[in-house]
Amino acid sequence: MARKNRTLDAVSLGIMWDRLIALTDEIVSTLVRTSFSTIVRESYDLSVVVLDAGGHLMAQGTYSVPVFIGTAPRTLKYMLEKFPPHTLRPGDVLVTNDPWMGTGHMFDISVMRPVFRGRKIVAYTMSITHLPDVGGLGFGAAATEIFHEGLRLPICKLVKGGELDPFMVDLIHANCRVPDQVMGDLMANVSCNEVGGRQVLEFMQEYSLDDLSGLSHAIREHSEQAMRQKIREMRRGVYRNRVMVEAIDAPVEYACRVEVDDGEVRIDFTGTGPCVDRGINVPFCYTNAMSLYAIKCLTIPSIPNNGGATLPVKVSAPPGCILNAQPPVPTGGRHIMGHFVPPLIFGALAEAAPDKVQADCGMMDLMTVQGRHTNGRGVSTIYFSAGGFGALQGRDGTDTLPGPSNMAVVPVEIWETLTTLTVESKRLRPDSGGSGAARGGVGQEVVLRNDSGHPMTVFSMANRTEFPALGMAGGKAGAMRQHKINDVAVHPKGKYVLRPGDRITLVEAGGGGYGDPRQRPVAQVVADVREGFVTPEGAARDYGVRVDPATLLATRQAAE
Amino acid sequence: MSYRIGVDIGGTFTDFALFEEGGGRLALHKQLTTPADPSRAVLAGIVSLLARQNVPIADVRDVVHGTTLVTNSVIERKGAKTGMLVTAGFRDILDMRMEQRYDLFDLRLVFPDPLVPRRLRREVPERVHYDGRVETPLDEAAVSRGLKELVEGERIEALAICFLHSYANPAHERSAKAMVEAAYPDLYVSASVDVFSNLREFERWTTTTVNAFTQPMFDRYLARLEQGLAALGFSGQLYIMTSSGGVVTTETARRFPVRALESGPAAGVLMSTVHGRTLGLPDLLSFDMGGTTAKGALVRKSAPMKKYTMEVARVHEFKRGSGLPCRLPVIDMIEIGAGGGSLAQVDARNLIAVGPRSAGAVPGPACYAQGGELAALTDANLVLGYLDAGSFLGGEMRLDLPAAEHAIGRAIAKPLKLELARAAWGIHEVINEDVARAFRIHASERGFDYRTCSMVTFGGSGPVHAMAVARKLKIPRVIFPLGAGVMSALGLLASPLAFELSLSRRVFVAELDAARFAAMLQPLVEEATGFLVRAGVKPAELRIQRRLDVRYEGQGYELEVELPADGSAESGFHAVPKLFAAAYETAYGHNFLDEPLEIVTWKVEAVGPEPNLKADFSLVVAGGGGLEAALKGRRKAYFEAAGGYVDCPVYDRYRLRPGDSIVGPALVEERESTAVLGPGDRASVDSHYNLVAELAG
Repeated sequence: MARKNRTLDAVSLGIMWDRLIALTDEIVSTLVRTSFSTIVRESYDLSVVVLDAGGHLMAQGTYSVPVFIGTAPRTLKYMLEKFPPHTLRPGDVLVTNDPWMGTGHMFDISVMRPVFRGRKIVAYTMSITHLPDVGGLGFGAAATEIFHEGLRLPICKLVKGGELDPFMVDLIHANCRVPDQVMGDLMANVSCNEVGGRQVLEFMQEYSLDDLSGLSHAIREHSEQAMRQKIREMRRGVYRNRVMVEAIDAPVEYACRVEVDDGEVRIDFTGTGPCVDRGINVPFCYTNAMSLYAIKCLTIPSIPNNGGATLPVKVSAPPGCILNAQPPVPTGGRHIMGHFVPPLIFGALAEAAPDKVQADCGMMDLMTVQGRHTNGRGVSTIYFSAGGFGALQGRDGTDTLPGPSNMAVVPVEIWETLTTLTVESKRLRPDSGGSGAARGGVGQEVVLRNDSGHPMTVFSMANRTEFPALGMAGGKAGAMRQHKINDVAVHPKGKYVLRPGDRITLVEAGGGGYGDPRQRPVAQVVADVREGFVTPEGAARDYGVRVDPATLLATRQAAE
Repeated sequence: MSYRIGVDIGGTFTDFALFEEGGGRLALHKQLTTPADPSRAVLAGIVSLLARQNVPIADVRDVVHGTTLVTNSVIERKGAKTGMLVTAGFRDILDMRMEQRYDLFDLRLVFPDPLVPRRLRREVPERVHYDGRVETPLDEAAVSRGLKELVEGERIEALAICFLHSYANPAHERSAKAMVEAAYPDLYVSASVDVFSNLREFERWTTTTVNAFTQPMFDRYLARLEQGLAALGFSGQLYIMTSSGGVVTTETARRFPVRALESGPAAGVLMSTVHGRTLGLPDLLSFDMGGTTAKGALVRKSAPMKKYTMEVARVHEFKRGSGLPCRLPVIDMIEIGAGGGSLAQVDARNLIAVGPRSAGAVPGPACYAQGGELAALTDANLVLGYLDAGSFLGGEMRLDLPAAEHAIGRAIAKPLKLELARAAWGIHEVINEDVARAFRIHASERGFDYRTCSMVTFGGSGPVHAMAVARKLKIPRVIFPLGAGVMSALGLLASPLAFELSLSRRVFVAELDAARFAAMLQPLVEEATGFLVRAGVKPAELRIQRRLDVRYEGQGYELEVELPADGSAESGFHAVPKLFAAAYETAYGHNFLDEPLEIVTWKVEAVGPEPNLKADFSLVVAGGGGLEAALKGRRKAYFEAAGGYVDCPVYDRYRLRPGDSIVGPALVEERESTAVLGPGDRASVDSHYNLVAELAG
């Protein structure tokens, strides 16, 4: 190379930065390809990061889900407190699934490997994946203490100097339902970190770098400045919001105070209700990730995640509230409550960034199904169906689209093949989208019939059954969610046994609307009536537009 | 003497290749595309190419045609008014999609509207189960009623028939189709079971609507083309290229226009494969880069890697999940928003970003001097000296260097406080990095080790960037075939007749025996064979490839295994466990699960004889050759490794002769492109006139 140690101008910084992200993306694809867990493969419930020798996050895989924003540097900090850098040896691999040190529940394992260049640590790589099983009561919210939720691994060395610790292997085998798959996934993590370490060293050699700190600093500095710049476009001020969120028995109140200052956002959750005795409590790392996610959506959605991009957003929550759960409360289903953080923040910032925020989403419905296939084989799976997406200024919410979490529907043809739980019908739910100048996305109604010939147990934690997806800026709320068994409404959070021939109906919530419904152009109301997303009655009631269904001629009624 | 013609319609140009069978003579031609009726350019180009080469049309045995017409009609929504008959209770599947966001951070994400609006879908009471059992018989009165409303009331021109589980029992779709054909013989009708018989209703039905939507247009187009060719005196056969790299007769293409979605790009990859075969290089990266996009594909064991899902009409051209998903056999290509027209700007991070926004053909990059003021990749390549203002497109289009400098200065150099050359190099290098990244991820997702492979590059911009991309990927060798600008037209002549069918049917291997296994495949073999035999292939000449998607019972992911070509279906059955174990090992690096297997998809492809297109054809090169004759001048070009601009020899590609060798830095120009060789790179011309470059160590 003719020019060693060229100063980091915009060209070399851009190239090296992108190369580093590409490197993490490549590790992600290796990890996905070698994992067993379907949630890893299909929902990309994973993350890969590269941190510099000082523990600063430099690069994160592009396809990581939002829950992993900002968790890795904290996890690394805890790891290095227990095993200081000078005690680490090449080939060591540290792991933990501790909810408070990792990512909020024990299903996620964080796997870290120091990268040695000669005798010096130049970086750390870390991967995080959702394991197929960790023992305990299994996936769900049934636990009343963390001890019910399975195997909790404190920070420990799974691999010592390249040698897998046999005790750890035995421990994991003894505590999981599907030990081969769990070990398979763990080893996929171990090897992807090994590949990652090799790639980091190759990268350093390619660009003649002796250490990564200068590059890391420049990456973080550029990200931080870009974020601050964008935050300055929001209206400064102190904003507050309060919403009621459905928990298991009684609802929990969420409160937040968001201060938009000169290039900085401070979010505090004081006033939020306490933890509950089910596995839906949210450790702070998760609250933090969801908050960072919300601000990222409102500022620079495309900014790469790193220690700089997260710096201008400060998050706090009083210990013991449900958004800063303390041990030993159970946290297995922390996403159930945690997903209400972004809409809470969007609601607070409705006036600070009116063209960016989103009305509430109808969210998703996950129903665990356990029983037997007609052919006698065991069935244990999850049915998923989405409510409507919240509207934004000038943009209708998409029909049947999940948010803020994300999953893909299991096609009817695959679902029936796997479960013999027949889908009788799956229809959009007209008028369920909150009305507004921009309409909320409509929900759906799914009717499932137990054709397996065996009893089937279904369990759900459905939300939006007491509190709808709220509209914004004058937009109206979406329709609420409801579950029925044989046409009789049932409590949507509970466990039921479907006898052969029984039907369960999932009526999914609509998204909130944005802006005054009377501002919605008549032509758009007519188009919605023509396609059946809104009924003629709904058009008259919610939009003040009388549409003749035969001719599609319309008139807007004067406001009362 | 007998000739074959390949015609590839692109956005700007329609490319032609004329190949003399046996003799190896090859002629190329370019003609401006005529968007209003693309058949006009096709016919005019054939006339002028044949006249120039003095070949009577009666000597042309066949014309192989690749076209983006089907894709474009979906993108531009210029298809037929299409209706749909659908299983009662499932009319809204097209609106619900996958119920998944393709971008987690962009809250304003949008999805393409279904091709059949909700009001043109009619529900029909009928129900078939996953095992083919009928729960509710087809309500024929509802079919008639829905049909009447759609045809007489709504005046639809095409119809999609989409029933649940029709792959398991096609009876209802078939009866409904028969009713339609009897009642409205002029209506274009597509049944989902015929289009591609796979499970996953949203994708199968979407594929069917794409087929129905494009069928009338494509039928009329082919009719015009056939009439036009007949009027010229053509009496041979017209073939259409499909997305999977095989060609089909126009009769088949009319039934399944959806199979021609990726017709053009597939041909380029096939040509790379042919070059690889000739050179004894079975594993390749095929890298094509044109004006707006770059396309990459992996070739393993002399066959392009395939897949069975694709998307058309993406809202965000390069975002997976933002288009209409189709399930069909297609060559597995990556698309990157990187081409000569890709625009450079300063991004939110205060760094250089290039593409995917493109200056297009009009106004084009600033250096085209057609009113474009934004800095494009071609502007950077001009400033860097890789392109020459006077010899672009063989000198037909003069480039404006000061305009390029001005545009880059304004867009990048000034805001980022960079020297002009450094800014231009930054633009060039960002594209190299983007392309390399896309290849890395694509290969990694497929467990493909590219480091020992060679790259074949073509397209207008591919040869400019290939060496730099190869260097990033640590690929040792790059092949620059002659005629880089018309590779697709050539590739059309390289593909055999082929038709693939597939059937979803979940069967536990433990519950099968060899006879039942063979019986599952036999109807597919017969149907696929039928397509080729009707096209004139002799049964003895065709090969049958049988592939299965296999997985551990109940696991979500399946792997494809190919049964040995020579053995019987019965012997193939006994090989399944071993083949699966080997595939699993390749994909996941380990194989320690001892679980029972199930087969979920059965695929059969009938392939006709390979055309005798060998890559040892030669372009007719005027005048004397050799290194000295080929040296047309010198100019300065920028190489980071050399510390800036260095003086480089410039060679005329058409005058280089087999055996000539060049040491970089050097530039090798042909009409449509320039091969850029960096300092220390060594290239030589092989006996097929390919320029083969080895990277500097």
